[in-house]
Amino acid sequence: MDLRYLRRRTVNIVNLTGSLLATVFGLFWLFWILWTTLSYGVSAFDWNLFHQNTPAPGAAGGLANAIVGSLIMVGLATVIGTPVGILAGTYLAEYGGRTWVAGTIRFINDILLSAPSIIIGLFVYEMVVIRMGHFSALAGAIALAIIMLPVVIRTTEEMLRLVPNPLREAALALGAPRWKMISLVAYRAALSGILTGVLLAVARIAGETAPLLFTALNNQFWSTDLMQPMANLPVVIFQFAMSPYPEWHTLAWAGSLLITLSVLALSILARTLLRKVRLEH
Amino acid sequence: MANDIHGKIQVRDLNFYYGKYQALKNISLDVATNMVTAFIGPSGCGKSTLLRTFNRMYELYPGQRATGEILLDGENVLAPGADLFRLRARVGMVFQKPTPFPMSIYENIAFGVRLYEKLPRSEMDDRVEWALTQAALWGEVKDKLRQSGMSLSGGQQQRLCIARAIAVKPEVMLLDEPASALDPISTLKIEELIYELKKNYTIVIVTHNMQQAARVSDFTAFMYLGEAVEFGDTNTIFTNPSKKQTEDYITGRYG
Amino acid sequence: MEQMHTHISRQFSAELEDIRSRVLQMGGLVEQQIEQALDALIKGDTALGENVILHDTQVNKMEVTIDEECNQIIARRQPAASDLRLVVAVIKTITDLERIGDEAEKIARMAVRLAGEERPKNNYAEIQTLGIHVRQMLHETLDAFARLDIEAAVRVAREDVKIDQKYDGAMRQLITYMMEDPRTISRVLNVIWAARALERIGDHACNICEYIIYLVKGKDVRHTSLDQVEREILGKESR
Repeated sequence: MDLRYLRRRTVNIVNLTGSLLATVFGLFWLFWILWTTLSYGVSAFDWNLFHQNTPAPGAAGGLANAIVGSLIMVGLATVIGTPVGILAGTYLAEYGGRTWVAGTIRFINDILLSAPSIIIGLFVYEMVVIRMGHFSALAGAIALAIIMLPVVIRTTEEMLRLVPNPLREAALALGAPRWKMISLVAYRAALSGILTGVLLAVARIAGETAPLLFTALNNQFWSTDLMQPMANLPVVIFQFAMSPYPEWHTLAWAGSLLITLSVLALSILARTLLRKVRLEH
Repeated sequence: MANDIHGKIQVRDLNFYYGKYQALKNISLDVATNMVTAFIGPSGCGKSTLLRTFNRMYELYPGQRATGEILLDGENVLAPGADLFRLRARVGMVFQKPTPFPMSIYENIAFGVRLYEKLPRSEMDDRVEWALTQAALWGEVKDKLRQSGMSLSGGQQQRLCIARAIAVKPEVMLLDEPASALDPISTLKIEELIYELKKNYTIVIVTHNMQQAARVSDFTAFMYLGEAVEFGDTNTIFTNPSKKQTEDYITGRYG
Repeated sequence: MEQMHTHISRQFSAELEDIRSRVLQMGGLVEQQIEQALDALIKGDTALGENVILHDTQVNKMEVTIDEECNQIIARRQPAASDLRLVVAVIKTITDLERIGDEAEKIARMAVRLAGEERPKNNYAEIQTLGIHVRQMLHETLDAFARLDIEAAVRVAREDVKIDQKYDGAMRQLITYMMEDPRTISRVLNVIWAARALERIGDHACNICEYIIYLVKGKDVRHTSLDQVEREILGKESR
């Protein structure tokens, strides 16, 4: 008897230690990355970073054009991707149900969700950049919107499915037509969940580099013209980090830190909202 | 028997199918005006299914269909041409779990009213107060109409749902196990409310708690395996039922 | 008393209140039956006696109605605690009241039978005093029931001993009459029947007092001495 308990206890201790070590191993790299980004990036954090454009090699400068460019493109992508994604998610959750059309859409959406972003960049390059004849911020925003779309569709559908069915029946039993039930009751019940999905999607596209390389490219100067190439943080980081100039390296670190911080902020916001969702159900 | 009294709802040869499975078999019974009619029976006997045919709630789900007639004041609500929205305005429903909408108490009530009427602000205020008063909730919520309906206790939420149904001014109220998710005191409050409401509404209640049926109803139908085994006035059903199956169920000898 | 507070279901409260007041109504009718039966006996009023016999069906009907109402309350409300005790006490009380009604009817039958015979010189004095006492006792019993007054109930129950003593006294007297004048035997036997009926009424009233104590205190005091009841229920030292 005692021997059996001893065995159990040993197995337990071994497994516990193993999983703890694995966790420490994973977190170690994460903290290393964060620490490196922080320690290198923080030195370049000053006022110039936000109000001067990317400099020529050897000169001093900031990331103003890249920050604004990123904000414009991510913003535009969100404006395009969110309504389409929410409507598609609504179709899947409220109307499609278990029909084969909905099943097919869901399957394709899952593929899109896991598609490498470089492929999407290449696709937009073929469809938009080639046809326009030059790189543009618009193409960048479209690429980002396409990456964002499956995330929003997925979360919208999941969140609407969390809305208890009796709530729908209660609205319909009052004589509400379906669209009113969805827009006035189901959306409201799933609101914080859907917002979380959108935030997570924004966080995902904020750091995307590959699709922008093919679409928005980069711009050394201040530009807010959607039809022209536009500076943006990920590509600037890529370019500056690859360069031999130490000033550019510092700026690349600062840009990395900026993206890391904004993704962190978005994640915290999303988590807070998600906790609210859990409390409601 | 219920047949002596004017039947608000007359069910005639009703059959109901979930796909190929027949859930209701040749149901014929009358729901008396301004009375409480209870459907009791073991789980899966079809009592909820029967209730949900009265406002055609089953139509939400593919593969469910009903044949036969359900006459509401002589009008067949199952007829293909029947106006579904008008039907649901006349026949309100309250569900097992409280289902307050994620909005304020006031908006919860106003939601249904706005579907049918465009009321000026002051009249809407009056209607909300009236509905909440009818549901015996006004005193408890009159100072917090702007708060979320979700902030109320379970029993209050259920009364809010009843008020929401009342606000549309229906003629019939369908209650699908309205107290099964509530504590005993809230349950008694709901039952007392049902007793008050029957002065103005015809009430049909489904309950798996047969004591509840005994307490609140005037007529009781005992259902088993999709059939209405016995239907009669509640006193008789609970003191001297005529069918052995009914006797076995209400005395706890079932199964 | 708890059942005096209203229930969440006001209908339930109303139903309980209804059976209570019906019991008092039935008690009132039974009191009237006894009074008229005794009157008929003492005055030799045949019509009044017939009237009492006729009215007994009404008492029986009331018993059946209240019984049915109690059944329905049990079936539909599943009363608990004090409510349950009330319903049980009512069911038992009406049985005793109905028996009291039967005894009144019996006295009325004696009255009709005796009306044709010669009236005794003392004008049924023994029956009169016993009758007054028994009626008083029943009246107080019903009062105690109406007020749920257990002190009164115990007091009334004690009266039963006195009634038994009075009954024994009356019996001795009536036996003396029969020994003195054997021609009166058949008449006096009827009187003895009437006295016996009155004594039984006292016993029934005593039972009802016990139900009142059960109803209020939840204690079954049947087959317990009254001294013990007073000690346990009222917390008094016995006299």
